[in-house]
Amino acid sequence: MLERFMGPRRMYQIRRLVRHGKLTALCLVMTIVVLRGTIGAGKFGTPEQDFDNLRVHFYASRNHHRPNRVLEEVRSESSSEESVALTSEAGSNSYGTFDISKILVDEGEEEKRDPSKPYTLGPKISEWDEQRAGWLRKNPDFPSFIGPNKPRVLLVTGSSPKPCENPVGDHYLLKAIKNKIDYCRLHGIEVFYNMALLDAEMAGFWAKLPLIRKLLLSHPEVEFLWWMDSDAMFTDMAFELPWERYKDVNLVMHGWNEMVYNQKNWIGLNTGSFLLRNTQWALDLLDTLAPMGPKGKIREEAGKLLTRELKDRPVFEADDQSAMVYILATQRDKWGDKVYLESEYYLHGYWGILVDRYEEMIENYHPGLGDHRWPLVTHFVGCKPCGKFGDYPVERCLKQMDRAFNFGDNQILQMYGFSHKSLASRKVKRVRNETGNPLEVKDELGLLHPAFKAARASSS
Amino acid sequence: MGQDGNLTPQKRTSSLPTTVANGRHSSGRNPPRGRQIQKTFNNIKITLLCGFVTILVLRGTIGVNLSSSGSDAVNQNLIEETNRILAEIRSDSDPTDPANPERDLFLNETYALGPRISSWDTDRKAWLENNPEFPNFVSRNKPRVLLLSGSPPNPCDNAIGDHYLLKAVKNKIDYCRLHGIEIVYNMAHLDRELAGYWAKLPMIRRLMLSHPEVEWIWWMDSDALFTDMVFEIPFDKYKDYNMVIHGYPDLFYDQKSWIALNTGSFLLRNCQWTLDLLDTWAPMGPKGPIREEAGKVVTKFLKGRPDFEADDQSALIYLLLTQKDKWMNKVQIENSYYLHGFWTGLVDTYEDLMAKYHPGYGDQRWPFVTHFVGCKPCGSYADYPVERCLRSMERAFNFADNQVLNLYGFGHRGLLSPKIKRTRNETVRPLENVDKFDIRRSSLHEKSR
Repeated sequence: MLERFMGPRRMYQIRRLVRHGKLTALCLVMTIVVLRGTIGAGKFGTPEQDFDNLRVHFYASRNHHRPNRVLEEVRSESSSEESVALTSEAGSNSYGTFDISKILVDEGEEEKRDPSKPYTLGPKISEWDEQRAGWLRKNPDFPSFIGPNKPRVLLVTGSSPKPCENPVGDHYLLKAIKNKIDYCRLHGIEVFYNMALLDAEMAGFWAKLPLIRKLLLSHPEVEFLWWMDSDAMFTDMAFELPWERYKDVNLVMHGWNEMVYNQKNWIGLNTGSFLLRNTQWALDLLDTLAPMGPKGKIREEAGKLLTRELKDRPVFEADDQSAMVYILATQRDKWGDKVYLESEYYLHGYWGILVDRYEEMIENYHPGLGDHRWPLVTHFVGCKPCGKFGDYPVERCLKQMDRAFNFGDNQILQMYGFSHKSLASRKVKRVRNETGNPLEVKDELGLLHPAFKAARASSS
Repeated sequence: MGQDGNLTPQKRTSSLPTTVANGRHSSGRNPPRGRQIQKTFNNIKITLLCGFVTILVLRGTIGVNLSSSGSDAVNQNLIEETNRILAEIRSDSDPTDPANPERDLFLNETYALGPRISSWDTDRKAWLENNPEFPNFVSRNKPRVLLLSGSPPNPCDNAIGDHYLLKAVKNKIDYCRLHGIEIVYNMAHLDRELAGYWAKLPMIRRLMLSHPEVEWIWWMDSDALFTDMVFEIPFDKYKDYNMVIHGYPDLFYDQKSWIALNTGSFLLRNCQWTLDLLDTWAPMGPKGPIREEAGKVVTKFLKGRPDFEADDQSALIYLLLTQKDKWMNKVQIENSYYLHGFWTGLVDTYEDLMAKYHPGYGDQRWPFVTHFVGCKPCGSYADYPVERCLRSMERAFNFADNQVLNLYGFGHRGLLSPKIKRTRNETVRPLENVDKFDIRRSSLHEKSR
């Protein structure tokens, strides 16, 4: 009909135009669809989901070089799915969808230090030994020695007051503290579990310095403060520290003299598990270490200095361990005579060389040795179960931490006649029958009433 | 697409085959061979192009991305791997466990915690005399107490559960350090039949028999927090009793309510009486038909109890009521202080209490223990809104932690804050603060007065 108005030539042109148009439209649609698929929003969801997909994709490609961040991915994926549900459930009874940061509130102002003044842990105290001795004399109910050759020891460890970024991190922290409670109960040691950041400037591995100083000054009855990292576990419940060996020293760390003083190797000693005597000397040492700690430029610069001065140290901000090596190596005359670098037993035992040998140890040796045959402490350096990124594969770390925990726990359970079914198993089995004469039963390791716990004087 | 630039109608081959076919009956019947081939060629080109585009689109839709790098695929694998690890860790399945079904006890079978012991008092006394280096008191006639608590060996259903278990343990460590009490934290299922809330019974018996030097065993639930760090249990008051449990006598004797007593926090003396009580208590516990049946019995007997399998609390109330002449003269139902304090009525009052009172009372002025019954942070669901539970638990923890940090001159920046602030300046004479603020020393001074 239109033909009559426009003439055949016009019609052809119109038809051609329409054909071209159809073609163009089709190709355009195809191109858009393919492009979407290629840049990552391929799942045909709502525009918002597409946008999220795109964002995740681009973010991922920027960070693809970082290893082991899967646990963060898992959390973020699950939380992005659940965040939709969250907004609609104000009074939800389900723990799975709850975000704890919703309820935490910090009142008041963050304390700010005057940056022009140099950093100090606190006002300089210079007669701590005399003050402490006077206090101990006035308080005979709180002796610093709870037995002949047995000093009062406070084991200090801690973790962050916020939930771990890793979903199973808190579970491993719980197991680690149970492990420490068990050892300390057997050996008459008190435990202090810190969950407070005393000084925001000394965050991270440096947080132990203000804490240690504060505890030394607030607990004059404590003779030795034993710092232990949260990722270290006791694997020899029967080993008692040789206190007489340390009667003339103030600081005991696992390490080797040649590696620290001669080689200045940054792993010549380990500050994940060490003993510090409550003396003026300790306060002075802490004051000497502290200036490298304040986060920011100071810590960065100190890190560069330490990398330069110490052997094999990678480039990163200053940490307390490298600082300790540096101070001891460069000021040996001042500190060296009161420092004991212990290598006869594993006051700190690097997990990598220990965890695969547990079965061999069970077969050939027995608890109470504390050394390579039956390590006192297995320290999971680098595993960082509470954080997002560790230096080792997650599965290996977690499985081995389970094994180490069970290895230590078996020594506790055997007191009561039980044992784990295997080093990988959470379940326990009976290894000694119940008897009608429980008092005649002696546990194999003699841990029920050990000599080192005998006549433990009151803790209060 | 076809021949461009060729716009004459006769050689119109650039559009889709269908339009070409329709629009062509006016032109020649036998188009030249060459043109036919060209047409076929063009069709094939178009088909291939469309086919290629379709495949690309399909691939994008089903998630296989050619152009993005292998890192995405690696990530995907890692994520799946980690999910698998986490699921494995969380699950109860044991890689080494044979699929061996140990059966539940039948109704007619009796259950015993262990071989019967009948001379525990004399045996224990003899042991204590022979082992003077392990006395049953710690100092100044304070009896040796063992606090027993525990949680399941596997991770909680949600990470937040483990975090609050950790905080609860820290809270218990702090109280016990200040008061010279030892802690045993149990994470093992010692007895297959007595699982769940009944698991405390075999553990209590085991500890009593292995540690004759312990005078009192104090069971405390993992969801109970100490909120008065100064208050000390008045053990002198209980020298004629063997069990101390929080409850209300009228609810117990008159109303026979199933919540008349609370087994979330109670004390048992290490003696023959307790062994007998445990032996009488345990038979209602074995899981399976016995526990179900016992549940029905106690629901009928006790007021207000919903219908579910027997729990240790109902079973205890039932047995104490039905055999009250045998047991009740040695049981102290304590409510002059909150040996167990039900959280809902307490947590909102903390600021009020901080303004008006001070630690040490243990009662409604400063509750000794705040017990988060029903919150079940280790599980998936609570009996109350989760936000309220977690908020309250955080407040209770910080309320207690403030009392511990007080010695060090710090306090939380609000009851909901994990951060702390200084409450006292540093000094060059720290021992003066120790004398003033150390809880252990103040409680000692009170005793000597």
